Amino acid sequence: MSAFKYESQVRPPLVSGDKDYHQITEDIIRPIENRPSRLWWIGFLTAVLLLCFGIFSVTREVIYGTGQWNLNKTVGWGWDITNFVWWVGIGHAGTLISAILLLFRQGWRTGVNRAAEAMTIFAVMCAGQFPIWHMGRVWMAFFVFPYPNTRGSLWPNFNSPLMWDVFAISTYFTVSLLFWYCGLLPDLATVRDRAKLKWRKFFYGMASFGWSGSTKHWQRHEALSLVLAGLSTPLVLSVHTIVSFDFATSVVPGWHTTIFPPYFVAGAVFSGFAMVQSLLIISRKVLHLEDYITLEHIDVMNKIILLTGSIVGVAYLTELFIAWYGQNPFENFAFFQNRANILSPLGWSYYIMMGCNVLSPQIFWFRKFRRNLVLTFFMSVIINIGMWFERFVIIVTSIYREYLPSGWSTYYSPTIWEIGFYLGTFGLFFTCYFLFSKFFPVIAVAEIKHILKKSGEHYKEKMGPEENESVEAFTHEFEHAH
Amino acid sequence: MSEKKYWKSFGELNLSESYLKDQDNEFREDLPPSDLDGKGLFDAKTPRRDFLKYLGFSTAAATLAASCEMPVRHIVPYVVKPENMVPGVADFYATTFISGGDAVSVVAKVRDGRPIKLEGNELSPLTQGGTSARVQASILDLYDTARLRYPVQMVNGTFQEVTSFEAFDKLITDSMAGQTGTIVLLTPTISSVTTKQVIADCLSKYQGSRHIQYDADSFSGMLLANEASYGKRAIPSYRFDQAKVIVSLGADFLGTWLSPIEFARQYASGRKIDEKAPGMNRHYQFESMLSLTGSNADERFSHKPSETGAVALALLAAVGGSVTAPNLSEKLKAGINKAAKDLLAHKGNALVVSGSNSVEVQTVVNAINELIGSNGTSITWDATNLTRQGIESDFTSLVADMNQGRIGALLICDVNPVYDHPESKNFIAGLAKVKTTVSFSGRLDETTELCKFVLPSPHFLERWGDAQPKTGTVSMMQPVIAPLFRTRPFEDSLLLWSGNKTSYDDFFKQYWTSKLGGHEGYEKALQDGVVQRVSATEPLGSVSTPYASGNASIVSAAASAISSMKKGGSYELVMYQQVSMGVGAQSNNPWLLELPDPITRATWDNYAMVSPNFIKEQYHIDLSDHNQSDRFESHPEREVIKIKANDHELTIPVVAVPGMPEGVFAVALGYGRQSADPKNTADYIGIAAVGAGKNVFPFATSNGKTTEWMATDVAFEKTAEEYKIAQVQVHGSYEGRTAVIKEMNLSEFVKEPEEILNDRKEELAKYGGIENFDTEGTLYPYYDKPGIHWGMQIDLNSCVGCGACVVACFAENNIAIVGKNEVVRYHDMHWMRIDRYFTGNLADPDSIQTIFQPMLCQHCDNAPCENVCPVSATNHSTEGLNQMAYNRCIGTRYCANNCPFKVRRFNWEDYMGADSFPNNQDEQGVGKLNEAVLMMNDDLTRMVLNPDVTVRSRGVMEKCSFCVQRLQDGKLRAKKESRVLTDGDVKTACQQGCPTQAIQFGNINNTQSAIVKARKDNKHRLYHVLEELHVLPNITYLAKVRNPESEEKV
Repeated sequence: MSAFKYESQVRPPLVSGDKDYHQITEDIIRPIENRPSRLWWIGFLTAVLLLCFGIFSVTREVIYGTGQWNLNKTVGWGWDITNFVWWVGIGHAGTLISAILLLFRQGWRTGVNRAAEAMTIFAVMCAGQFPIWHMGRVWMAFFVFPYPNTRGSLWPNFNSPLMWDVFAISTYFTVSLLFWYCGLLPDLATVRDRAKLKWRKFFYGMASFGWSGSTKHWQRHEALSLVLAGLSTPLVLSVHTIVSFDFATSVVPGWHTTIFPPYFVAGAVFSGFAMVQSLLIISRKVLHLEDYITLEHIDVMNKIILLTGSIVGVAYLTELFIAWYGQNPFENFAFFQNRANILSPLGWSYYIMMGCNVLSPQIFWFRKFRRNLVLTFFMSVIINIGMWFERFVIIVTSIYREYLPSGWSTYYSPTIWEIGFYLGTFGLFFTCYFLFSKFFPVIAVAEIKHILKKSGEHYKEKMGPEENESVEAFTHEFEHAH
Repeated sequence: MSEKKYWKSFGELNLSESYLKDQDNEFREDLPPSDLDGKGLFDAKTPRRDFLKYLGFSTAAATLAASCEMPVRHIVPYVVKPENMVPGVADFYATTFISGGDAVSVVAKVRDGRPIKLEGNELSPLTQGGTSARVQASILDLYDTARLRYPVQMVNGTFQEVTSFEAFDKLITDSMAGQTGTIVLLTPTISSVTTKQVIADCLSKYQGSRHIQYDADSFSGMLLANEASYGKRAIPSYRFDQAKVIVSLGADFLGTWLSPIEFARQYASGRKIDEKAPGMNRHYQFESMLSLTGSNADERFSHKPSETGAVALALLAAVGGSVTAPNLSEKLKAGINKAAKDLLAHKGNALVVSGSNSVEVQTVVNAINELIGSNGTSITWDATNLTRQGIESDFTSLVADMNQGRIGALLICDVNPVYDHPESKNFIAGLAKVKTTVSFSGRLDETTELCKFVLPSPHFLERWGDAQPKTGTVSMMQPVIAPLFRTRPFEDSLLLWSGNKTSYDDFFKQYWTSKLGGHEGYEKALQDGVVQRVSATEPLGSVSTPYASGNASIVSAAASAISSMKKGGSYELVMYQQVSMGVGAQSNNPWLLELPDPITRATWDNYAMVSPNFIKEQYHIDLSDHNQSDRFESHPEREVIKIKANDHELTIPVVAVPGMPEGVFAVALGYGRQSADPKNTADYIGIAAVGAGKNVFPFATSNGKTTEWMATDVAFEKTAEEYKIAQVQVHGSYEGRTAVIKEMNLSEFVKEPEEILNDRKEELAKYGGIENFDTEGTLYPYYDKPGIHWGMQIDLNSCVGCGACVVACFAENNIAIVGKNEVVRYHDMHWMRIDRYFTGNLADPDSIQTIFQPMLCQHCDNAPCENVCPVSATNHSTEGLNQMAYNRCIGTRYCANNCPFKVRRFNWEDYMGADSFPNNQDEQGVGKLNEAVLMMNDDLTRMVLNPDVTVRSRGVMEKCSFCVQRLQDGKLRAKKESRVLTDGDVKTACQQGCPTQAIQFGNINNTQSAIVKARKDNKHRLYHVLEELHVLPNITYLAKVRNPESEEKV
């Protein structure tokens, strides 16, 4: 489907170098067949160590109680829900790339979609840890599911935004996973077909579900992809909308804001793309995939970062304006004292947020900066720090001083186990990502092959500039393609 | 019919050999399991069925193996059920709280043989059902793990158990045999009629023996002054309800002074606003710190402790006394003149009290009261207060006698001079010179551990007795539980040792049976718990007419003594009592230690209260700058200073309190309990007392006659240390949020009584007005609320902030004690709290006004907490209660985040030992629990738990339930009696314990109920906190009305 599309000569190629189909397969599949590098081992073991630390931190919390964290009677949510929203946000880019960009026929998505989707799945897995383990009695977590039970007509409370979260996140996770796996099928079959080792043949054979590459398979595959893309597209928007309802439907000044759904979605895409940048800039280097994840890709994603970052900035300013214009003294206090007042106890966090999310991405107005790898990597980290602080600012600086001054909180800062849990999710994320990069094709081989003859550097050079073709010739070509 | 044969196979047709052989088998083909041929399961021909079998078996086995075995606990029923006792049904017995000289009539609630709660006795004419925090908490003292469990004697420096009372008696007899010195009985003030009789009888047997009453918070000054002025060493009855103008010179009469429950009730009755004819008393307070009473004052003036006498003298001069007014600051002078003018304008309806323990100051105060005509009106002598009778010189001469070896035996009962006497060193030295020292205290406190013999006394709930807090009013005491330990009332010992074979129980019964005209009267007295003056012919105590007024020469002598008092230094120290800790008699009581001080809202410690300016000068933190103060208050670390005075020094953290005068440190008494060897403190005094604050008794100044709780010349130096102070509220201002606090001055209220009502009307006009706000303020459908609908009303004008309700709530609802470590982390579990806000100019201590707001779950009809719970663990009852299903709660804490009142409390850790995880209270590092928390989980301490209330496990949210167990109980009682629930069938614990009846509770659907009437009568002051949110609270507040003399401070 994406095979035929008008491809302007002006657009730079998306696959560099003199590639043919075989070469693409070689480039992308070979890391799976080779032994992992020393760098991979170091990274992987570090991730596993972090994961273990996280497991230990959570175990302590489960045994001794949520008092292992520095939350208090006023600040009921802190790092836990901040991290949750942050990870969910990161999990937005993958599906956005694979679904919305698929529907918009953006050829450049092919280079990055596989890794981005994997990242989405891992990020959602990490995000899911927080609402689970932040519960006081996690062993009763199954109460949130609407299952038939013997407790009379005892159902979960469908009015509760937390209830909505359960459905939103689990649906999103399921669809993302299906979508990702569906795209993997042809590539897994490629690995199977090249496999010389028995176990590899066996496992990749199982995993590829008997993919034979027949036209029928391709046809169904394309159709399924399209259906899943259609399903995912509203999910991309709904998940973070619903997460924002956790706050927007409350009575807490600073949370109770109708702007939250679009603002959260924009922020999520913003941070998701930043995370994609961080990961791909490293992956392309380590796995030698510079020909497939080109500066062009980086450039395009930086443009999206600039756009969404600016949307987020406008949202911040709108909030401030409304807090002033609305004349609600409590909301006014939440924005102008708890946040915008840098001298207030947690005021500094608001300025980290503003600096990282609104000011810093503005440098991407310049093409030179958009195509600077080191700068892009640095900025992607900065943006994710900023987006973490956005959630921290929203959650903590709203509730720590709200309606009754008698309840105003002491200074909230995390304990080692609170930090440990967060680090642990990094461990989980990178453990998964390292395993993924070792055992799965990091780039969608089949999809790259789709665009190779339109956007490959070599082909582009050879191709007659279509702009100069006669209309008849173009029409002829169009009519006879498929 | 032909013999046709149908065959199924050739084998059957031919009856082949193999066929016949197969006939024997039921299954012709091999059974699947035998088909394995020695190969693996998955190589078998039909592995599926086996697989399912194995799966089924292994799942079942794993389930069985993995399922936790629940420990078997046996419930043993009564073999022979005690008469009049139904398991699960509470019995109530009237008895009396005794601590030092204090005596309060209470009713003990006993469930299945164990007392679990004390309520005020509504028949008492003094308290009328009111209690104090200390009374409420005293039930926990019964189950104190540090109580001494058997008699002991000192042998070679260690205490050894004495196996029986007989053995103990013999030891005493042996020890006293042949000795020549005097026998002295040292007790706190004893108001008990029978105990006094026993003591008199006993001492009359021994030549020269004497009884000395010793009060840690001595009223010698007043007793002696009254003796000089009026000819009788007595304390009169104060009638704060009779006074239109009250001037208190440093007397904390609402918190700790003399009879605070009685006074608070009287005081509040003069401040209840009748909207039809608004009026209230006016309260001036002159004090050298911000006390609970001062924080309730309409006009408050602060001065240095050393100026206490001068202020009294200036007031005397201002009301027309023939003395010269001393030189005071202009501001203070203006205040005194204002108060004097007001006093004179209300001659006969005015009252001046002083908290000073100086004879001279009290003499001057007596003269003032004469001049303003309070003698006979607001001060009456027909019944005198008997709770403080100790004269300090008695004790001083005893110490001198001890040191000179003139004392042969010292019997000490329930006093602790080693801890709470400023010059305890002399006493300790003297004690070593006394041959026989016996203590009857219930624990090995600082004094007791220096005695040779200890025979512990029972707790007041374990014994018979009586008390006479006022002449003519006797409060009866009866045991409500068999003694938990081997204890014996000291009266028994006195009777025995003086050769009287009657036990005290019998003595008590005989005395009162004869006094009250027979058995019936005795039974009635025990039932009621209170005996009023029974008949004119047989007065219980002497009744006198007002005494002659003080003569001028005493006054002028006192005046000149005051004038010659030495001036204070640039820094001074004043020692005060907290409503929780008092003089420290209950200092191992975690409920009291965790009860926040009403002023500082700090727990578990004492500290030096200083003015905000002190912090600015010494630490360069300007607390009037909100950024600086917000950052300062959000951290618990407080600077530690070293105070030096009267040859003592002490390091103590400082806490800035608005309203504190410049150059004054105020430190609470009653903290810093410590055994001679600090290692023993946990065992002897109690685990909770370990490390709680510092002892400041040694800083008191004695003028030879009386002790003054101040040091007028103090040096201090800063240290590099910091110390964490555990406060439950860190922000002090209500930031002008009138949606939370509404207050006004009486003159404004008179001028514009409907101001609050009109504001509410205006605000809600667009949303249906006040009447229809609940239906029209929302998009959602409205539901009728038929039947019972519970509601509460809290009068901010009556609440004095004493905290009795808070401790009542602890006791009633099994509130967890979290310990200092956790309070610092803002993890306190209080369902009910009393928010304290200051207004005024920080730089001017006299401009500071304080307001108390009891805050608890508002039981909103449109509760924001309910709709956010994912599992409906918190939901609304048909009776308007916002209720918690603890075993449904999974602990997401969303409800607490969404509660605008911040009244929800989360079980961050396993405070109650009620968790699914065993042994999870031993964490180190983060979340380490104090030993006091573990003490509260001791089997003994847990006997105080209310079996009607679930003990919450870690990980669940909890909050005020409006005492739902009491509501159920009331409904059931009404149902059993086949009648409609009436007003007064139920009272919440906080309502019951309140000394000022600030809390009203009832069914708001019952138009006859007191609460409906109260709401109707108080429309003008009535408001809901945060009404604009449309959460529809079921609690209404009545705005605070102040009655300052002038408008300038508004």
